[in-house]
Amino acid sequence: MSIDSIPVRVMAIEQVAPLIREFKLEAIEGKLPAFSPGSHVQVIMPGEAREIRNAYSLCSDPAMPRRYSIAVRLQEDSRGGSSFMHGEVNVGDELAITPPANLFAPVMAARKHLLIAGGVGITPFMSYIPELKRQGAEFELHYLYRGSQTGAYLDQLQQQLGSALHRYDSGQGNKCDLSTVLSDQGPGTHVYICGPESLIEGVCSTAKALGWPESLIHYEAFAAPEPGEPFKAQLTRSGKTLDVAADESLLEALEREGIAVPNLCRGGVCGQCATPVIEGAVEHRDEFLSADEKANGGCIMPCVSRAAGKHLTLDI
Amino acid sequence: MQIDPSIKSRPKYVAPELVASAGLQLFVSESDAGHLLEPLYRQCSESGAQWLVAEPGNAPGTLADSLSGYLQRVLSDAPVTTRLYVAGSEGFLWDIRNQALSAGLVDEQIQLAPPVTKARRLFCTHCYTLMEGVTSSPHTCSGCGRLLLVRDHFARLHGAYVGVQINAEDPEEQLEQEVLQ
Ligand code: FES
Repeated sequence: MSIDSIPVRVMAIEQVAPLIREFKLEAIEGKLPAFSPGSHVQVIMPGEAREIRNAYSLCSDPAMPRRYSIAVRLQEDSRGGSSFMHGEVNVGDELAITPPANLFAPVMAARKHLLIAGGVGITPFMSYIPELKRQGAEFELHYLYRGSQTGAYLDQLQQQLGSALHRYDSGQGNKCDLSTVLSDQGPGTHVYICGPESLIEGVCSTAKALGWPESLIHYEAFAAPEPGEPFKAQLTRSGKTLDVAADESLLEALEREGIAVPNLCRGGVCGQCATPVIEGAVEHRDEFLSADEKANGGCIMPCVSRAAGKHLTLDI
Repeated sequence: MQIDPSIKSRPKYVAPELVASAGLQLFVSESDAGHLLEPLYRQCSESGAQWLVAEPGNAPGTLADSLSGYLQRVLSDAPVTTRLYVAGSEGFLWDIRNQALSAGLVDEQIQLAPPVTKARRLFCTHCYTLMEGVTSSPHTCSGCGRLLLVRDHFARLHGAYVGVQINAEDPEEQLEQEVLQ
């Protein structure tokens, strides 16, 4: 099963922070599908050596689904996705995206929403905030960034949120004391974190140490797959054998061979891409499988995980 | 009428365990159930723990006003890291739990000790009367006088078991009394 793609045109490009560019996208034909706050799309990019797919949060108001916005941070060690978006994409160009999917929706029944963004992790909250305002929901945003690199949408947020915005520019030495932020909250507060792994870890471990119920903690990381050692994947059903290069994921290699694997997050959290393993040790890098399932080794998340050795045999 | 004995809605209870990291350890019990929470309370530092005690045998479905109002105030100032431990009769447990949920707590934060008695709160599905301390089935509804079969189906919102008329066809029919477990 492959996810249909939607052809879109780039209407506008704006530099919203020194390393972040915003792309406004419109449908080439018909209308774009409606989306809910926290949704993301995958952008399918015709990279040099192979197709690249990256997931980006929609950072526009869900009440205005006629056009989508995504914001892309240029990654220093880009695997091609962000440097393609920054270097190759111009206004008027056509791109393909997947329909929106949502793995990070706000819990509308929350008493209060505590949003914590790190750098380009502000993006999903750009679709939360208009909706939370319409609902009259109580919320505050803690925004950690480095002014010389990130910090997109600050003026706009300052204007819209006033004292509900707390900004921490690490370049100016402003530190966010997570334990104070997390201690000062009443029953029914949900916390949402989007940003680098280290921030997510920091918030989760601080919250847990303070005694936050886990069901009130939500996070989203869009980690690009880390490179690893090259390996061979043997596919029993199609009888194919493929070489997975050091800097590509198993999922990308499968797609390159025309083998469609369902996927949503491409970051090891949604569980969609689970693929049965017949033989070979797996280096599990996902957050979806339980420790037991990982030890058992019967299943791999090919969007992020790889062979631990030189080869894997997959039931696909 | 056949009633499935393994009916799922009947809550299961386990002895509460202290969750050490909590901004507020809140204990609520009826006065005859305090012993169930005592050992946990003793492990807490005085500053981080509070205990509210109620007299047992409140009016059905309503907590004594004083306790309810006080709990309300405590919960409205409570941190998101509150842990709530409740002991008493089954109806009481669920009254406290429901009040905590409406103050914003989630079930993950709430532990209900096994009820101190087998007596049930009964909800008449015909006239909506709540009755406390029902120990056998069938039971005559104090509201409408119907003879009610006490089912194992538990309505969390009322903290009560559901009672349905058992002898609708022949109100004269005599039925055997069964002691509730
Ligand atoms: S695509 Fe979500 S876990 Fe692989």
